[in-house]
Amino acid sequence: MLAADVQDAPYINLDDPSFSIRSKAVRDARAKSFYARTPYGLAILRYDEVGELLRDQRLRQGSYKWPAHNKASGSFAEWWVRMLLSRIGEDHARLRRLANPAFSPKLIATLQPQFIAIANELIDAYAKTGRCEFMSAFSEPYATRVICALLNLPHERWRELATLAAEMGLALGVTYKADEAKINTATQAMFDFSRALIGERKRNPGDDFISLLVQANSNDKDALSDQEMDDMVVLAVFGGIDTTRNQIGLAMGQFIDHPNQWSLLAEKPELARAAVEEVMRTRPTTTWVTREALEDFTYKGLDVRKGTTLHLFAESAGTDPSVFKPGFDITEPRKQHFGFGGGTHHCLGHFIARGDMTEALKLLSQRMRNPSFDGDPVWLPDSGNTGPIMMKIKFDPEA
Amino acid sequence: MKICVDLEKCKLHGQCIIAAPKLFGFKDDGSLRWIEQIDATQRQAADEAADVCPEQAIWIED
Repeated sequence: MLAADVQDAPYINLDDPSFSIRSKAVRDARAKSFYARTPYGLAILRYDEVGELLRDQRLRQGSYKWPAHNKASGSFAEWWVRMLLSRIGEDHARLRRLANPAFSPKLIATLQPQFIAIANELIDAYAKTGRCEFMSAFSEPYATRVICALLNLPHERWRELATLAAEMGLALGVTYKADEAKINTATQAMFDFSRALIGERKRNPGDDFISLLVQANSNDKDALSDQEMDDMVVLAVFGGIDTTRNQIGLAMGQFIDHPNQWSLLAEKPELARAAVEEVMRTRPTTTWVTREALEDFTYKGLDVRKGTTLHLFAESAGTDPSVFKPGFDITEPRKQHFGFGGGTHHCLGHFIARGDMTEALKLLSQRMRNPSFDGDPVWLPDSGNTGPIMMKIKFDPEA
Repeated sequence: MKICVDLEKCKLHGQCIIAAPKLFGFKDDGSLRWIEQIDATQRQAADEAADVCPEQAIWIED
């Protein structure tokens, strides 16, 4: 295909607040072409192409352009362009190598008893009533307290951290401009919290991630500068909370829509790991990730100019009918989804996210039988980073 | 000691290359290359590469 033919490709309006990643427009576009035009770059819609472009060396991570694209300023935008996700090359590799050990599968496995204890404690509080607002009763405190367990933070501060993370998370929504002041205030407060925490770990070192960063920083400031240390702590707290909160809410919504799968999971808890993958394939909170072309190149007949933004649609790739048998089925063997992105910037926290969601789904399916919506849930826009804002649920009260 | 990679599982994220650049790399065609036979001094780097692999496609045989 020649460059001129790009104009013939389907067009999808990502900037429309009512845009849905799961709309017929996206499905039709995917059936017609592996890519679509958008108000801002190209969207990649199919499984094979998303998989290849995620790790293509001619592209870089594209989110660093977010402040420029949104005319954003202030402490959130400044942090955003400095932090790990916006870094590339050896600079990124250096920071990633530092962080990796704290997120290794072996270390996460040691946290499993804490995941179970936190989940049970939260469910205990509402199980007998047969009703809950799932996001505030389970999803949000669970996601936040898992991060408290990982970073060895005081659990009683979970609400404060969850609120800050949610306010910072508004930056990734369509209402950014209206919320800018609130987002920057929350970011500032998160930095204050992180710096206090770093100071505390300097006085009382432990074996947690923050202590590891403090050690690296005091050994060699070229390995980790003061600023990089602060930025990394903010990322660890913010990055882990909002995404997992939303993903567990999406999981619950998906299972309420597929009740037979929920009872199957309750009977066969060994399916919980596959259940996490099936939810993330069909309902990822991160519906797409972005890349930017570092050079001019041609990919499968598509001419990509240097500087072009590519939106790699994880949800659309994960439900690509040319690769996946339709439906939501936790017993069906599936190819790897892209809910954690991929390539150099593959989600650093995926082992913990997978581990904590596995334990959560096991216990929730056993203790919240026959769940249904108690009124319509309230959702974030079905694009960018999505999930439920509020989700009231009814279920069989526990005896 | 030998580094083994399940190329069916490998999705070429390149996390092993970040963790252990002396043991792993990409070939010009974009496929993975790695040093198979390692000695005890390379063991820690190999373990780190195996740990970080998102697909858990790497293991070390003694």
